[in-house]
Amino acid sequence: MRRLCYTQTVKEPRAALARAPRTLAATSGESPRDVDVAIIGGGVNGTGVARDAAMRGLRVALFERNDLAFGASGNSSGMIHGGVRYLTYDPEVTEKSCRDSGHIQAIAPHLLFRIPFLMPVPRRRHARILAVLMDAFFAAYDRYQPLKRGKPHTRLTPEELRQLEPGIEGDIVAAMTFDEWGIDGGRLCAANALDAAERGAKVHVGVTVEQIERDADGAVTAVRYRDRHDGRGGRLTTHVVVNATGAWAPITASLGALAPVHARVRPGKGIHVVLDRRVSNYAVMAESIDRRAIFVEPWQNVSIIGTTDDDYYGDLDQVSATTEEVRYLVEGIARVLPSIRSARIIGTYAGVRPTLHAWGKLEDQLSREHEIIDHTAHGAPGLYSMIGGKLASYRLFAEEMTDILARRFSLSSRCTTHRSPLPGGEAEVSPFALAERIGVDAVAARRLVYRHGARAERIAERIARRPREALAVCTCEPVTEAEVRHVVRHEFARTVGDVARRTRLGLGPCGGVRCAARCGAIVAEERELAPGAGAHQALEFLRRQARTRVVGLGPEQAQQEALGIATVRAQLGIAHDEAGE
Amino acid sequence: MNARPRVVVIGAGAAGTAACYAAHAAGAEVVLFDGGPGATSLSTGAVDATPWEQRAAAAATLGLALVAEPLPAEVEAFVTALGCWQLVPAGGPPAWLATESGRLRSARGHDRALLSLAGLPHGARVVLPRVERAEWDADALARALAADPAARALGVALGAADADLLRLHGEERIPAADLAARHDDPERLAFLGARLERVVADERRRDRRVDALLLGPWLGSREARARELGERLGLCVGEVLGTLGGAPGLRLEAARARLLGPRVDLVPARVRSVARVDGELVVRPAASSRAGAGAPTRADAVVLATGGLAGGGIRYVAAEQDAPRGAPARARVPFALSLEAPVRLGVHGEDLDITSSTLGPSLDEVGWPTSAAPSLLESVGLRAGPHRELAPGIFGAGDALADRPRTLLGAVATGLEAGRAAAERRD
Ligand SMILES: Cc1cc2nc3c(=O)[nH]c(=O)nc-3n(C[C@H](O)[C@H](O)[C@H](O)COP(=O)(O)OP(=O)(O)OC[C@H]3O[C@@H](n4cnc5c(N)ncnc54)[C@H](O)[C@@H]3O)c2cc1C
Ligand SMILES: Cc1cc2nc3c(=O)[nH]c(=O)nc-3n(C[C@H](O)[C@H](O)[C@H](O)COP(=O)(O)OP(=O)(O)OC[C@H]3O[C@@H](n4cnc5c(N)ncnc54)[C@H](O)[C@@H]3O)c2cc1C
Repeated sequence: MRRLCYTQTVKEPRAALARAPRTLAATSGESPRDVDVAIIGGGVNGTGVARDAAMRGLRVALFERNDLAFGASGNSSGMIHGGVRYLTYDPEVTEKSCRDSGHIQAIAPHLLFRIPFLMPVPRRRHARILAVLMDAFFAAYDRYQPLKRGKPHTRLTPEELRQLEPGIEGDIVAAMTFDEWGIDGGRLCAANALDAAERGAKVHVGVTVEQIERDADGAVTAVRYRDRHDGRGGRLTTHVVVNATGAWAPITASLGALAPVHARVRPGKGIHVVLDRRVSNYAVMAESIDRRAIFVEPWQNVSIIGTTDDDYYGDLDQVSATTEEVRYLVEGIARVLPSIRSARIIGTYAGVRPTLHAWGKLEDQLSREHEIIDHTAHGAPGLYSMIGGKLASYRLFAEEMTDILARRFSLSSRCTTHRSPLPGGEAEVSPFALAERIGVDAVAARRLVYRHGARAERIAERIARRPREALAVCTCEPVTEAEVRHVVRHEFARTVGDVARRTRLGLGPCGGVRCAARCGAIVAEERELAPGAGAHQALEFLRRQARTRVVGLGPEQAQQEALGIATVRAQLGIAHDEAGE
Repeated sequence: MNARPRVVVIGAGAAGTAACYAAHAAGAEVVLFDGGPGATSLSTGAVDATPWEQRAAAAATLGLALVAEPLPAEVEAFVTALGCWQLVPAGGPPAWLATESGRLRSARGHDRALLSLAGLPHGARVVLPRVERAEWDADALARALAADPAARALGVALGAADADLLRLHGEERIPAADLAARHDDPERLAFLGARLERVVADERRRDRRVDALLLGPWLGSREARARELGERLGLCVGEVLGTLGGAPGLRLEAARARLLGPRVDLVPARVRSVARVDGELVVRPAASSRAGAGAPTRADAVVLATGGLAGGGIRYVAAEQDAPRGAPARARVPFALSLEAPVRLGVHGEDLDITSSTLGPSLDEVGWPTSAAPSLLESVGLRAGPHRELAPGIFGAGDALADRPRTLLGAVATGLEAGRAAAERRD
């Protein structure tokens, strides 16, 4: 195989353990190829298939154009929900969703955190009847809650509601509580990719597939790729290509000379607004002006407000929230939680849902379920597209895709992704013991254990060897130097932005003003780049983040923004960089 | 009217300090309202007249050497009186400061504690002692600085060396400014000096040259302790340019107190409004201020040195954000001065107008500066006429003014001008 310009293979792969004896009956007669499967797209679905396929013994390469979790997977509402929306018309989906939510919890317990929801019922015509119906509805959902270790719902009086969440205002007749789980989508992708790599898969981040080559019969033969950081390209031969590029799917299909309509998605843009801290005790549901269900939820160290759903036909690498979208959400939440108006917005993020395509329905009514397209039907055997899906059902979707691959390659091994822990999920680590051992405070240790689970031990080992790496690079989140070095070395991060997606560095209230340059220097050092490249990455990160904040600008943040600009000017220079490098 | 004109200066940053100084020198009785730390107190120790990157870019475009631009004599005189800054001579090379972010940047001058690499002989070697603090990875910083083209042009080498400069438990984690304050204590400074002597001796024993020591922003909060250390060690000692809210701002505040103490009547209060009542200017402090400070003050002239967005003199408020609950948002100019006064805000040479949106202006594109244009957030300010006059008897200075690059010497120059004009004003 040709050497890739930037390849991370992990030492001591566990591939030997996982690799089942396999016959190449299905592929006999075909010429030998570099890999069995090339997967395009490093979201949950791509990384999920990479893991499953590698576990079943296939030779896998994964290509991600931007960064793992750069697309919908890193910009979702971050919930592993149990499919409550399907309850009335397709309870089987709800059951399946809850069961899989339970599986994700079993394999990555460290990554899930409970988000209890409050759903106030405002006074309007038939509000009391509505409350009774909702009560019954959630009682039905309760039946499935045990599958995901969820708590049963409760019905609250307005007084009880205000006791739990004193900020809630308005004329409310009752409220329901129900239980969901939160997750960091960036971590979920990283964990799957890491596991795939440890089982022998090659993971290429920042490397875009430019062409899917097919032979005279139309069958897939190879992919051509290019490293977007250094411009170097290459070719990798493969038997199968899995297009797991989410909203990019039609574009990716066209790279294989297929009509984009053969891998159609309805691109539904959704944004979230990030507040500087946890502003409520519970997640609170509200209605937007057009009666859509929106929410504010405490999520990790912050609160997020979500979400919108609008068709999007712009550049998928440059999706960002607009002022209108931000105000739409803030105004909607303000109807039940008026104090939200004066909360400090420290950022926004946006993603595009790869919804199954259908004409004639409103965005919200489109099903979020998934579908695998076998492009043999379009004259392109060996090419598959994964369309749709959810964070919550990624494992199942990946299993379905890999089952198809297993049949194609006549593999006897069965899917075990619901049983084998993801990296970090193997054992429980006490953040308190860890804190004491590595000399960081308990909050920092808690966040570290959240992100890395048992793998936090490896970061602790780094610190034991070099104690100064326990010092915080980012104090807002907080993130230690050791963690930054770890994610660059072992989790495929190549830029400051990549480090942020894996660690939340620079995503807190300071916006990276205090840590981006330092992080850039570490990334440059780890990757043996010139120090100037680190500074350049830092500026790029700061610029990008500033753009996501300015659309939600409030009085306090505006001053922060001005101070941030002055600091960056004094420290790095802004004009200088554009001109000089 | 008094025999001496009464000038009220609002804002105690670089501009306000300069305005007080000039107004006092011109014979006025001066009252200064200090609303708390602004951009001056948060700035990081570099002192410029024109933004450094603008000068660097211009020199590169024209293929000329970077030189320090001339400054008005009164600006130089003020800086001398203030005492905490060091300017380089006009026409000569600029100061070269090492930033905590690992870049070398030019400057017109700097806080006295900062180390300028421009002063070092060609072939000099600067040593960064290793200290267990997050902002201070001496090896990485030395490497980054050494790789900067300016280091090569200056012929300066940089390296890290083992050291043991912290004394008390927990000093790895305290804010840099607190560590700086510990070095105000002569005994503690002597400890630092002794430890640095060891660093130098160790290096020299290994036949490594040491011409200067570069440290974090830790060298005193009341006064720059760099020179004392340097004299003790017989070489240059100084700080890097740190991040916002560090020791240089504290040293500046101390210098300001020394300069203005004997000259002005200081009121530690924010001002709520400036208005003309019966031909006289009346300055009203905010009600929440210290008891007794709430009484209105009369003035012959007022200098608004209230800073820009960074300093808190201008606030960004979209219409709906401060609308009373339930009430419809009122259309308005989305930026507001931190006090009420008969003056107008503007940007790009025009008055700010009411935006046709309750959400404020479309900020999507103007938040972050580019090489071609500063951010809107850095440009909004007061629009002034000749002598920085904003309205009869009201003058503006510093970051509070629209469309001026945000620099310390710019703030000083406009402050001196406004202060003098205010003192000399006669109706
Ligand atoms: C606003 C919003 C909220 C959501 N909330 C939830 C939620 O709470 N719970 C839930 O379960 N689901 C949620 N979802 C849905 C879920 O996030 C997505 O369905 C899921 O992440 C899709 O993953 P994916 O891997 O298919 O696509 P993506 O994550 O979008 O990944 C596609 C990747 O392909 C890469 N790529 C594109 N072209 C190429 C190329 N040529 N070469 C290499 N790489 C390429 C892209 O860079 C991208 O990283 C939400 C989605 C959105 C947008
Ligand atoms: C992080 C940072 C880095 C910088 N780096 C450099 C650099 O490298 N080189 C350089 O030359 N310049 C730099 N600057 C810019 C420089 O600091 C400013 O241009 C300068 O300090 C502006 O001074 P000023 O007096 O106009 O405003 P400020 O210093 O902001 O002072 C305004 C004062 O007015 C007070 N005030 C406001 N409203 C009221 C009121 N209603 N009543 C009473 N008081 C009030 C505020 O509290 C504040 O103290 C930097 C600034 C920052 C923040």
